[in-house]
Parts: sequence; C-alpha cells; structure tokens
Amino acid sequence: MAPKKFKWRRTNVKEFLCVVPAVVMVIVTTYYPLVDLVRISFTDWDMLKKDYQYVGLTNWVWFVKNASRNHFFADMKVTLIYTFFTLLISLVLGMLLALLMGRMTRPFGMMRAVIFMPRYVAMSTAGIIFVWMLNTDYGIVNNVLALLGAQRIPWLTQPVTAMISVLVLSAWHSVGYSMMIYLSAMTGIPKDYYEIASLDGASRRVQFFKITVPLLSPTTMFLLVTTFISSMKVYNSIDVLTQGGPYRSTEVIVYLIYRLAFVDYRVDRAAVVATVFFLILLAVTVLTMRWSENKVNYDT
Amino acid sequence: MEQKRYKRPKTFRGYSKKSRALYTTQTVLAVLVTLVMLFPLYWMLISSLRPGEVLLGKSASLLPTGFEWRNYLEAWTRVPLWRYIWNTIAVTAISMTIKIVGGVLAAYGFANGRFPGRDILFYVVLGATMVPHQVTFVPMYVICSRLGWVDTYAGLVFPGIVGAHFIFMMRQSFRSVDQSYIDAGRLDGLGVLGTIWYVMVPMCKASLITMSLTTLIGQWNSYFWPKIIVKTDAARVLTVGLIHLRESWTGTEMWAHTNVTMAGAVIGMLPAIVLFFMFQKYMLTGYSKASMK
Repeated sequence: MAPKKFKWRRTNVKEFLCVVPAVVMVIVTTYYPLVDLVRISFTDWDMLKKDYQYVGLTNWVWFVKNASRNHFFADMKVTLIYTFFTLLISLVLGMLLALLMGRMTRPFGMMRAVIFMPRYVAMSTAGIIFVWMLNTDYGIVNNVLALLGAQRIPWLTQPVTAMISVLVLSAWHSVGYSMMIYLSAMTGIPKDYYEIASLDGASRRVQFFKITVPLLSPTTMFLLVTTFISSMKVYNSIDVLTQGGPYRSTEVIVYLIYRLAFVDYRVDRAAVVATVFFLILLAVTVLTMRWSENKVNYDT
Repeated sequence: MEQKRYKRPKTFRGYSKKSRALYTTQTVLAVLVTLVMLFPLYWMLISSLRPGEVLLGKSASLLPTGFEWRNYLEAWTRVPLWRYIWNTIAVTAISMTIKIVGGVLAAYGFANGRFPGRDILFYVVLGATMVPHQVTFVPMYVICSRLGWVDTYAGLVFPGIVGAHFIFMMRQSFRSVDQSYIDAGRLDGLGVLGTIWYVMVPMCKASLITMSLTTLIGQWNSYFWPKIIVKTDAARVLTVGLIHLRESWTGTEMWAHTNVTMAGAVIGMLPAIVLFFMFQKYMLTGYSKASMK
C-alpha cells in the first residue's frame, strides 16, 4: 500500500484515547512486572533486606546445578501429572456428560445448571467442604466406607490419595464447563448426518465415534489448549486441600514459586523459577497455537 | 446454546420399548450424576446446621441431624464477618467499575477506531493473557509493597485492573455490530462516547452482561492474590476470611467447629450462586459463544 500520511481527525484522536488507559495499565500491571521479574532474578535480593546487588548469573547457576535437588523437576512432574489427568477427566467426562445431559427439556436444563454451578463456588469454600468430607476420622466419605466394612482411608495425608483428592476437587469444579462447551458444539452438528448414518445402518456407538467425535475436534482442541494452560498454573485447589503435602507430593510449580518467595524469602530464586515457568508456558502456548492452526478442521 | 425446545412426550405410548428404556436409563443416570455433583454443597448446608455434639460422630447418615441456627450467629461473632463482606463488596465494585468502563472503551477503540498502530496496540493488550498472575505475583507484590499498598483495597484491585480477556470478548462482539448503525448514530450527532453508550452497549447487551458477571464472580471468588496481599482484617476478603475463620481454632477444636466454618462458607457463597441462577441464561450462552470463536 502506498504510504499515505494519516490525518488525525478529532474522532480519531478520541478513539485513540479510548484505548490509551487499557494499554498503559496493561503495560504497568503485566509487562513491567514481567521485566522486573527477570531483573530480580539477577540480584541477590531476599525480601528481608532493603538493598540488593546485581550478582549476575548466580541464581541461574544455582537453579541449573540444583534443578533436581531444589524440587523444580519434582514439582514439574507433579504439575504435569495433575495436568494430564485433569485434561483426561475434563475432556472424556465432559463429552460423556454432554451426551448424557443433552436432552432439551426443562428438568435436564436444570440438572445442567446444577452441574455447571460448582464453577462459581469459590475454591476456598470448595476446599473447606472437601477437606471436611475427606477427613480421616469424621469425614462422611470415610464414615460411609466404614459402614460398608471398608477401611478408613487417610485421603489427604497419603501421597497418592492426596493427588486423587485434588483431582476430584478440580473435576467437580470444572467438568460442567467442558460439558457446556461440548454441548453447545453438539447442537451445531446437523441432524441429517445422524439420520443418513442410521439409514446406512450405523449403530449409535458407530455414529458417536464416526460423526460426533470427529466433528467435535475443533472444540476438543479449544478445550485441550485452554485446560492445559489453566491446569499448569493450578494453585488454589492445591492450597486449600493439601498445601502441597504430604511430603510435597502435591506441590506444583506455582506452589514452589510461592514457597521460595514468601516462606524462604528468596525472592531472587523465586524469580528464576518463575521466569523458567513462564518460558515453558509461553512455548507451549505458541506451539499449540501453531499446531491447532495446521490441524485439519472438519468444517461444521 | 440454541434453545430448541422439544416437546416432552406426555406419555410413553407410541414409543418403542427400546427408546423408552433408553429414556429411563438416561434420566436415572442424569439424576444420579446431578445428585453427586450437588452433594458437596448439600453436605456443607447440613454440616452448617449440625449441633457440635453430633459433628464429630462416626455416623454415616446423610440426613440432617438437628437445626442449630446458632452456628451462623457464632460465625458472625467469631470473626468480623461484616467487615469481610464489606471488603469483598467494595473490592469487587471498584474492580468491576474500572474493568468494565476501561474495557468497553478499549474494546470500542480496538473494534471501531481508526488510527495508526491500532492492531499493534491490540496485540499488546491481548498478549497480556499469555502472562498469568501466577508468574508475575512476586514482582507485583514488591511493587505493591513499595507503593504501600499491602493490605489495602488498592493492592487487592491493582493487578487485575485491566481485563485483557474482557476487552478481547467485547471487541469481538462490537465488531459484529453493523457499520450502518454506527454511521446512523454519527449522522444524528453522536460522538464517540455517545456511540458507545447509545449504540454499542445496547446492541451488545447480552455479551456485556455475560462478561461482566463472569468478571464479577471471578473477582468475588478470587483467592490467589488476596492470600498474598492481605495481612489483617483491614482488607481481608471473604475467600481468605473463611480460611482465617477455620484456622482461628487449632487441632481437634478446628474440626469440632466445622459447623461454624460451614455456616461462614454458606454466607460467603450465597451472592455468587444467587447471581448465577438469576442470570443463568446469560452465563450459559456466553460460554457457548466463547467456544465458537
């Protein structure tokens, strides 16, 4: 295009002024802290003292040398395990629930609302309820188990069961969301596809795997990317349920950053871990965006 | 979601045995799932009304045992619950106002404005969604403490002052407004603010309500940042206040007072849930739109 000089009219100036506050605040509240984070990672600041000095790569050397001892790898593993199962639950269970709850009648609509509702219950509230339900000695879950003659399970004080509890809490909180997303995508699939398929003698199961699942692939992709990112950043459900315990078995990356900064007061080291974590998240986001663009979308 | 309502069959007559069985199975399963999902909230309510004596029992009864309304009173006196509620309302209101006003303005500028660098600036805002609070909370805390904002409303509101996602969604919906409406408004002498208020906002009412409610409930329920920035009752909001209430007892005492904690939880949860059911239509449709972008 030929470079034509843009003439600022009054309206253009006003329209520009509309976006200025948002742009300025986004820089102040997001980009500046991000730059500050990287800067802090090169200092020796520990929150307790007022002054700090630039110490070059010291913290980065600490991070690389001790990556296995400073819990980064261990916590990354916990984060990935959590993310994997959360994805599995929200995609598979979400799709199954969408199938189950799909009838367009009033009672089903109400039941859908109930399933969706936990998303709007604060994590701290949900955590308090789950901790109480899962209490080893007085919790209703164990009381029922005991009634059935089973043993009381120390849900939150054993590594594996603690992780299961966190996953159950997360599933309870968010499965309604993926259900609703799948459901709205399903209503977009033309009914004739199924009619034609059943004329051809395709059973309901075949119809599900050959029509529903492939046509939902853009939705699955959308949920996959968004759930992946949000699960990687999980903190609340872990904090209210297990505080990263027992023996750090549910400690995720965000928890490690929190612990380094506000428990050990090593802000500098926390900054290193946070920077690395951010780079990982960024890489994943960019890669999945590229990947999902190239992916064949069945046109609906 | 498209609300295509099918008539519910009044009787089963005329339906094949197979589809009748399918309908029944589906309904039974659906009810079961719903009950399971509802159970934690039901249990919260039941526990909040239980007398202290039966609270720590080994009973597996799922039915209510006693109605001890006193628990609610105790939750109210044990911690300054009014203070927490007021803090939550104030912080939510301030944050919402700034986010909505700033967000709608920005969305309009990005959707309909004409000035050089518009799209670059938009990507600057959109890029913020890739930088989560969970990464920047350490420097953010440092900034707030330098400004003396630890344990204040300003500190609570500050990090989430721009809703990049809000701007993105509102921009999407503003772009769907036909240019002729805007031109018509212009001819009638509407300025930029007039266009936003009299044309864009009414035409995008549904998505504005959806996005505002999502923001509102999100702010009401936020936990991560308040946990970091709140130190005393001065700025303690409900989410962290609830944990504070539970931890005001130690050891077995804590479990023995679960009924009081649960009463507090019920009080804290009510506004968000009432809003959800009042605006259910908007909440549910908004999400389906989000998935179709």
